[in-house]
Amino acid sequence: MNCEVCQLKELVSLGPPEPRQEVEHFEVREVLRCILHTILFHRALGLVRPKDVDLELFDITYVQCGDVEHEKKIDEKIDHFIDRVEKHPNKKNQICLSFYEVKNKQATWFTNKVERHYWEQWYINLNTVQHPKTHSGKSHHSKVVVDPGETASEERNARRTALESSLREVLFQIIKFVNEKKDHVPPIPNLDGVSFPYEITISSSSDSAFGMDMLKRMLQTGHPTMLS
Amino acid sequence: MDLQYGRFEQILTQFLLKSIHIILDSRVPSTRPYSRCREVKKSDKWFNLALGDRPSALENLNFWHRNLTEPIIIDIILVQEPPNSSCGYSLLPTTSGLGTFTETVIERWVVQCEYLRTMTPQSSDVSYKKTYKKSIILLRSLFSMMRLLPAYKAFRKLSSTNQTCDFDINYKVSTFSVPFSRTEEELMKHYSFIPVDAQQGRFAISVTYRDNLSHFNLEASTSFPPEIITDYVGSPLTDPLRTFPSSLERRFHATPLLSRGMHSPSSVPFQRPHSWTSGLHRGVSSPQSQPLAGSPALYRASYEVSSVISDTYGRKVQDCKSPAHYEAASSNDSYQLSPPFSPSPSPSPPAYLTSGNPVQTRLRSESAPVSIPHPIVGRSSRYISPNSSDPNRNSLPPLSPRFTKHDSSSQESPSGTRSLRKPDSLRSAESSCGMTYLGQKVSRDAKDDSGRFSGLLSSSDSPRVGFSRSSSRLSFQDDLDECDFSCPFIVDDVDTSESQANQNLDLRKGSEASSQANSSVRKSQDAAVGALVHMLRTAPPLRLDCSSYASGFEKSELESIAGAGSGFVLPRKTSDALEELKAYSEMKELLLCKSGSITSRAGSKDETSSS
Repeated sequence: MNCEVCQLKELVSLGPPEPRQEVEHFEVREVLRCILHTILFHRALGLVRPKDVDLELFDITYVQCGDVEHEKKIDEKIDHFIDRVEKHPNKKNQICLSFYEVKNKQATWFTNKVERHYWEQWYINLNTVQHPKTHSGKSHHSKVVVDPGETASEERNARRTALESSLREVLFQIIKFVNEKKDHVPPIPNLDGVSFPYEITISSSSDSAFGMDMLKRMLQTGHPTMLS
Repeated sequence: MDLQYGRFEQILTQFLLKSIHIILDSRVPSTRPYSRCREVKKSDKWFNLALGDRPSALENLNFWHRNLTEPIIIDIILVQEPPNSSCGYSLLPTTSGLGTFTETVIERWVVQCEYLRTMTPQSSDVSYKKTYKKSIILLRSLFSMMRLLPAYKAFRKLSSTNQTCDFDINYKVSTFSVPFSRTEEELMKHYSFIPVDAQQGRFAISVTYRDNLSHFNLEASTSFPPEIITDYVGSPLTDPLRTFPSSLERRFHATPLLSRGMHSPSSVPFQRPHSWTSGLHRGVSSPQSQPLAGSPALYRASYEVSSVISDTYGRKVQDCKSPAHYEAASSNDSYQLSPPFSPSPSPSPPAYLTSGNPVQTRLRSESAPVSIPHPIVGRSSRYISPNSSDPNRNSLPPLSPRFTKHDSSSQESPSGTRSLRKPDSLRSAESSCGMTYLGQKVSRDAKDDSGRFSGLLSSSDSPRVGFSRSSSRLSFQDDLDECDFSCPFIVDDVDTSESQANQNLDLRKGSEASSQANSSVRKSQDAAVGALVHMLRTAPPLRLDCSSYASGFEKSELESIAGAGSGFVLPRKTSDALEELKAYSEMKELLLCKSGSITSRAGSKDETSSS
């Protein structure tokens, strides 16, 4: 069985000017919640009562499954991601949402692990750019004193607008992918809500294990079809 | 094979229903059920997407959509008043019998099963289970897409209970559609979902939508613009027994589908068999109107559909009437006669608040059994005029029967009890300004009303002037400065206490000699003002208030006048005027006496000096 892979369009988010500034992390949270829940909604093929959620920072409404347990799980992963972003600022970070099937439950001679067969993987590429430091003091070129606060806020607004536009494109991309690829979806188990098991992994471009992680998955899944 | 086909047909039917349900639920607030029960019904479990109760009109889908090969076309129509419309919220009937509105199709959804002429072996092998699974995914993506398209914002604005909108969203479901014009097509984008293979064809959903709705200026405000309503029910100027239907019928002149079809074929576009529209299908400005065509058999079919739909809509409207407190009992008939009728197309009470139908909201707010007086703006000049007996009598708005009745009538009214007392007490205190009525609307809690009545509140400035001036009948600029009312019933504590002190003094000195008449008149006027203010704040009963007002009146005299009932105001004013006249004449006599004595003394002195 093929594993369908979807590399979502890269999103650029403005990181906080100072570490541990929760206000700015909120943008990252919003973006990741929106994307992860949207994907999950399209793959939670059990009975769901959809729940509309409005983003606070952007003029976008996304849909959740309405399952509190999965909401918590996603929020935890987002917290891990933010911790990682703080440790590795100015890096390209990636969240991978993988759906799998449990193939072989029998313990073999060498391994006790349960074999997972990944049938779909979503890569969310989020580039957190460090907030440019505000220039204190006068500008040494022009006579007019430019208010650094204003330019910083203007830049922030411009970035946020661009991020909103990119986020909307990503959501369209998800819908398109979900519609195009349906044959690989396994039969729906008789479960409510999120019917397929999934896992969320976080990696960054500077991470040495990043490449290994990808390689491991590729070996496990067999013949990945790369889509962009 | 038959079983397979039977399952296929069942899945297709439910697929169509679910698609329409998703689309209408995400675009038209009126189709949303008022309350959603937590338990998921069996019919709602289809495609593992629980949406709640279906719009009742969908129950008849099977009835008119007999041919499953026909596509179902759902037009989402934006309804707006033209920007240069001078009539504002009052809609004048046009030749077609409907108001002047523009309708624009902002989205056109097409849901269908594309039947393949040549059945390939592969397509026939598609099991219904796979079809069902893929349909689930397709409907999920449809649900998400509904929230990403531009029309969703308009829907949210309309659904918001905190805002009132100057637009509305209607829908039309049919099996055919008039193609868009070239200019319209240029403004629209197209998106097609990947079809789902089925046994007999493919389940397909596509949409043509307006990418940019900004030029429609879809405004949502948190309050109604200030507006003076002169003909509401309960106005002293209108027939107290007047009910809503006259204005409502004028506004919602939605003729039945059948009659439209038979008699006025050019009035409504898309009037073909196998179609229904939501609510007010004005169709006046739409350039795509087509004459009706069809055989008598088709007309019969449409009549049957319309009668069925009318029941559901009529029922819905009726159910929503009680929350809306409609007193227009006779308007029920008009609702039931006009399918698919949905007032402003928002039958549910919360939707009324947000609908672009100000008449509806206005009527709803007016339906509480409170006698609402005529607004004061534009009349304040009358109250500033000197309070001679007859002219002042005419300057007051003719009191509604409720106001002329005894106290008990005012106390019966629910929300306006406190405020209704005030006008009575003001009457007792000889308020000739008529500024008593504004406070009643302030007492309403409806969010949509608060903004609307802000306009009325702002008109209180002039009545304030009228109040202070007319009550004294003299130029009381000082009193204006002292009694700085922002609203008829909002008073500074300082003013009240001062006026109360004056009033107490006045009571004691009320029967003193005429030498003090001048000052007592002035003080009594102050006391009157203070007393009135005090009455407004405490809202005492009529009889008690009579005693607190003192402008030279004897207490017993006041009580006797207070007991007069409907004739209370007029005799008081006349008697008050007479009393003042007496006071003036006394003053005059006193002055004359004094001057006479002075002249006599002067004369005697002269005489003595001269001699």
